[in-house]
Amino acid sequence: MGSVTVSLVLNGEQRTFEVPAGRRLLDLLRDDAGLTGTKEGCGAGECGACTVLLNGLPVPSCLVLAASCEGADVVTVEGLGGDRPLHPLQRAMVERGGVQCGFCTPGVVTTGAALLEHGITEPLEQGRRLAGNLCRCTGYSKIFEALQAAAREPGDD
Amino acid sequence: MDLAVQRVLRPGSFEEAVRVMAEHPHALPIAGGTDLVVQLRDGRRAADVLVDLSGAGLAFITARNGVVEIGGATTMDAIANSREIRDACPALAAASRLVGAWPIQCRATLGGNLANASPAADTAPPLLVAEASVHLVSADGDRRIQLSELFSGPGETCLRPGELIRSIMIPTQHLQRTVREGFAKVGPRWEQIISVASLAHRFELDADGSIREARVAVGSVAPTPVRARAAEQFLAGKPPTAAVRREAARHLQDDISPIDDVRAPAWYRRVAVSVLLDRALTEAADG
Repeated sequence: MGSVTVSLVLNGEQRTFEVPAGRRLLDLLRDDAGLTGTKEGCGAGECGACTVLLNGLPVPSCLVLAASCEGADVVTVEGLGGDRPLHPLQRAMVERGGVQCGFCTPGVVTTGAALLEHGITEPLEQGRRLAGNLCRCTGYSKIFEALQAAAREPGDD
Repeated sequence: MDLAVQRVLRPGSFEEAVRVMAEHPHALPIAGGTDLVVQLRDGRRAADVLVDLSGAGLAFITARNGVVEIGGATTMDAIANSREIRDACPALAAASRLVGAWPIQCRATLGGNLANASPAADTAPPLLVAEASVHLVSADGDRRIQLSELFSGPGETCLRPGELIRSIMIPTQHLQRTVREGFAKVGPRWEQIISVASLAHRFELDADGSIREARVAVGSVAPTPVRARAAEQFLAGKPPTAAVRREAARHLQDDISPIDDVRAPAWYRRVAVSVLLDRALTEAADG
């Protein structure tokens, strides 16, 4: 298999990877960059566990070819907090019990962070936009409570 | 798991993409990849060479001279957010918000949804109702076809080797009269599902509330997304009363040829698409 060079900004840092041509962004993140926060669930774009931010928007990284990320800006759950230990939504998820087994959490938090970033705070619309992030533990109530709490957080970011 | 491809070519312009496609006649173009990556992973499609269209400048929406033009690599999210598209084809904006869920919408593209040619492609019925055309380009030249001509069967299009979908063109509406337009789909849940049946409608209403012109297109109930011509002809000139709605649903049965598959039996699709038409007509009557 041929290889391909991918230069991208990953969690705020300029990085270059030499990967097999058919590598998915998910595998570049986990295997080449060592960022194992992003999880593989279904591998077919149906569960949302592998969601990362690509140029500021949530995408299923299992469906993204690494080669197509040349010049892109990618943020994983590890990069969400920036200089601080936790993003407001991460903190709210912990405080309100939005995390149980934790497998969906990185995807939920990245999609949720994008919702907050885009000013989508109306609960029904938040529910629709989060519908691609499946959680089998929480029943979603605590996740929504965390989203609402993070949306109310005074603008310290 | 890596996909079994040998090379990914990344043209930096549309002209280069067309040239690269001509040089590699067996290459597959890839935009969002939300269908193609799964198909490559499962072995339902294979290619040694992929041509990545991310850098080909195909993500755009323009409105001029009575036409809204959407670049082939424009995402569902961009379409759903576009004021031009919400004005010109609200059914398309609505359908784009129902393709997968938000992360899919941020990646999946209009050209990809059409080229994949699923009978269930959610963007197709709204574009059929809008009588959209498609601009196709290859190294041999370009052509403009009606969207209805693009689909030749489940997963099959009239695209020639090396040909790319450059853009989709929607004639803007002349809104002198009252127009009711929408899109709805049926499935096990609202988001992240492949349609069991879908329907887009555009009804032009007369002052007395009767339907001057009806356009209806349906998905997942025939080998390709199709216009429901029998139902349309029946509805023209009639008020959307309960009796007319029932009769229209009967005519709609002549427009479709659903099959049993993993998602639903044919009989259910017949009922479901009838309910979608009934709801669209009821809403038109209620204003």
